[in-house]
Amino acid sequence: MMSKTSLIATLLLVFMGCFPLFVDSAWLAVGTTFLVYAVVAFSQDIILGRAGVFHMGHAAFFGLGAYTTAILNVNFGLPILATWAPAVLVPMVVAFIVVAPIIHLRGDYLLVATIGLNIIFIQVLENDVFGLTGGPNGLFGIDVVKLFGYDFSSQTHMYYMAFILLGLTLLIMRNLDKSKFGRAMFYIHKDEIAAQSMGINVRYFKLYAFILGAGIAGAAGSMFSVQYSAVSPEAFNVTQSIMFFTIVLVGGSASLPGVLIGTFIMFVLPEMFREFETARYLVFGIAMILTMILRPRGIWPVRFGNIPDFLKKGVK
Amino acid sequence: MDIFLQQMVNGLTIGSLYALVALGYTMVYGVMRLINFAHGDLVAFSAFIGLSVYAQIFGESATSLIVVITVFVFTAAIVAFVGVLLERLAYRPLRTAPRLSAVVSALGAGLVIQNSVMLIWGPNMKIFPSNLFPATIWEMGGIVITFTQVMILGVSSLLMVGLYFFIHQTKIGTAIRAVAIDQDAAKLMGINVNRIIMIIFIIGSALGAVAGLFIGTYYRGITFDMGWMYGLNAFVAAIMGGIGNIPGAMLGGLLLGLFNAMITGYISTQWAETFTFVLLIGILVLRPTGILGETVAEKV
Amino acid sequence: MKKMFPKLTASLAVCSLVASASFATDMIKIGVQAPITGQYANEGQSIDNGVKLIVEQLNAKGGVLGKKIEVITCDDQGAAQQAAICAKKLVNEGVKAVIGSYTSGATEAAQTTYNRAGVLQTSDGTSDSLIAHKYWTFFRNSFPNSAEAEYTAKYFVDGKKYKKIVILSDYSSYSTDLADATTKALKAKNANIIYEGKIKSGTQNFTATLTKIKSMDPDVIYFSGYYTDGGLLRAQQEQLGIKADFVGGDSNDNPDYIKLAGESAKGTLLINVPTPDILPYDIAKTFLVDYKAKYSMAPASIWSLMNVDGLRAILHVMEQTKSEDTKVIAEGLHNLKDFPGITGPVTFREDGERIGGGYMTYEVQADKSYKIVYQ
Repeated sequence: MMSKTSLIATLLLVFMGCFPLFVDSAWLAVGTTFLVYAVVAFSQDIILGRAGVFHMGHAAFFGLGAYTTAILNVNFGLPILATWAPAVLVPMVVAFIVVAPIIHLRGDYLLVATIGLNIIFIQVLENDVFGLTGGPNGLFGIDVVKLFGYDFSSQTHMYYMAFILLGLTLLIMRNLDKSKFGRAMFYIHKDEIAAQSMGINVRYFKLYAFILGAGIAGAAGSMFSVQYSAVSPEAFNVTQSIMFFTIVLVGGSASLPGVLIGTFIMFVLPEMFREFETARYLVFGIAMILTMILRPRGIWPVRFGNIPDFLKKGVK
Repeated sequence: MDIFLQQMVNGLTIGSLYALVALGYTMVYGVMRLINFAHGDLVAFSAFIGLSVYAQIFGESATSLIVVITVFVFTAAIVAFVGVLLERLAYRPLRTAPRLSAVVSALGAGLVIQNSVMLIWGPNMKIFPSNLFPATIWEMGGIVITFTQVMILGVSSLLMVGLYFFIHQTKIGTAIRAVAIDQDAAKLMGINVNRIIMIIFIIGSALGAVAGLFIGTYYRGITFDMGWMYGLNAFVAAIMGGIGNIPGAMLGGLLLGLFNAMITGYISTQWAETFTFVLLIGILVLRPTGILGETVAEKV
Repeated sequence: MKKMFPKLTASLAVCSLVASASFATDMIKIGVQAPITGQYANEGQSIDNGVKLIVEQLNAKGGVLGKKIEVITCDDQGAAQQAAICAKKLVNEGVKAVIGSYTSGATEAAQTTYNRAGVLQTSDGTSDSLIAHKYWTFFRNSFPNSAEAEYTAKYFVDGKKYKKIVILSDYSSYSTDLADATTKALKAKNANIIYEGKIKSGTQNFTATLTKIKSMDPDVIYFSGYYTDGGLLRAQQEQLGIKADFVGGDSNDNPDYIKLAGESAKGTLLINVPTPDILPYDIAKTFLVDYKAKYSMAPASIWSLMNVDGLRAILHVMEQTKSEDTKVIAEGLHNLKDFPGITGPVTFREDGERIGGGYMTYEVQADKSYKIVYQ
């Protein structure tokens, strides 16, 4: 019989898959937003939760993907499907170029450096560099996905596209855990200095995590821009980065249910309780402090860094 | 030459404000290895409290030295109290928890303070009265200095010098330095670490309050979310000068202010923040301990 | 699998209950997309208040087409991304028309979504770019920047005969658009513009830029941005001892401008369409009285009133054409001529532009009141 977590996971997936059948488009939009942000949260988890890199600038990669799609579509007329590959590649290349020189920095310094990178990204957007980025108002009039003359523009279509993306992300993360990368991550998480003495190139693996996370966030970004037909700098600023950072830590690092719960609380609950909109961040703040005091490892922590069961096969 | 000097005056003024805020960051980081993300929001809070204190006690009109001193002292006291509360509620329970948990708590505390301000005073910009300081202006050889600017430069310098002597010449100051070097050893020496941390928060918050009030009088328009950017810039200044190093924070603040003014004046307004952070990343890569160096060693 | 089946049916049952509750009633939904929070909060709230007042009055008389009107408000915080999100939300809620937004940037970000969904949109945004797409769903209820620019050029060159002009704007689409239009109009009259600069909205400290301007010794500084920056610019201009006239474009016309500028507000020149209390129309006077009675304060500015006129025009045409079909209503609006509005007769062009309008220049007096100095 499946383990408890797998059972819950399957139920959840089935529920989310059937979701469009019994809600109207207002709720479907909320669901789509949840899926897109969950993908970004998971990509942040790869970097922060698993590789343990103090990264508070992730919204920049999300934004790079969104803007790549927007720029290629609005300024250069490329169909949306053709922008998917660039939307994933551009953040990965940028991550490599800007993060490689600073990945060795000590935790807190790296944190502030990533914040700085996010801010620089926002300034580039706001200053309408090369006339491409549209300034503080961003770009609008983004197209919808078109294939063989058929318009995938309804909310249901977008929902399922986001759903598939989430599925892909979870698949990638599962494979990661079982790969050389995953094993290195376990070791580094447990004791970084010991891992280094064993010959694991910590810098390499951290950078690898970064680039992978950036690419996934870029894909989510592309979906985001099509969903709203418009992108602008403030959706990708440091406040958003802090949201993603918080989701991973409050939900539980490297914890699948934790990250989902975190995303739900941060992005879906406010939709459901619109009357409390003004007090929303106040409640978040208090919740953040309380959660950290009561459950410092997150709402749904997992034992990450210990040898996972599938590696202990045969050992009792 | 005139423009250059004028920009320098502007830059030093802002720099002094950054320095005051940076001191709060550097003291807390030096002792607790924690980036007090809530500090910037506390500074913004000070501006609003100051405005209310002024309105409640003096109404819209009067101004004199007594008025100004009362407002400053009252505000600093209230903010210092809130700072201690912050430490007690959001940081102390997490002293032994993983580092990142404290960061999240700090971010949360910042949100709480920021949104409390928004809920209490409303989301609109509030405006400081323009008559708190006399509107006198001095013009010397083409550059203009206002009374407010002189006040900022003067009071900040006094406070910074005062803090330096406090840290280096008094017993409590020595205790603070001891706790910054090694908390456990300090405890063994009989130093009450909890009390020292409380004192640090009092001083840091009070300095932040002075900065907040000056920001209010200088810029006139205050919004509940203005603290974040100040806080971040101040933290950059603290790192530039050497985190944990008090003269470093002062130097870093002034240099950042000057740097900012020069970029804005001579190159462009749009890229000012970019330059600041490129500078920061450059320093982190080339000389991470900052200009005056860090006073802490890394335990392996 | 057997264990999952009952759980599945249970969740499906619960969800269908929830779902049926959300497919509702027989009302006509009107959306408001405005900056309820953020730096333009007082304008946004005023727009929301104005719309709700009109809807309340109409509902008391039976609503429109026999149905009551429901107002759904979405806060776009004056920001483009939030505007796009609000647009999606309001469209998904099934609104027929949206009043929004206050800023041109937030309006433009939402335009495409409304157009694709066939939802009518009316806004006070003055950027000429708003009409660029000629969306059949969009109706501007204010007058475009180009009209204001023509007036400004006439005032500067023929009226005040300024010799050295400085043009400042911020990076928003509205402000840049207005500054560009004004520059064009001035150059067409051979005016001497010595500097065109930009300030970043919200940074509060403009001493660096102003110091640079001081060295050029201008006659006038024209600022095409919003009052939140304009007030501070004026205050800092006086602090630095720059002896030039300060002329603000229409978005500086707001009571908070005077508060921010403090003592320096005196002598500022503001260019705008008539303020609410100068409007000569009876409908205007009645509206102002009703608004004050319900909200204990006056509307923030003329912009709220223009948005209200947009709403009134839409509801009027809806009643006239007896149709809820937005395409039919849009056609009716395009043919609308001289509909009696609070801000004057409302007439729309085929591309959605509003025709008419007259500007004035006000000088701020020591007692914070306005004096008309040029028409």
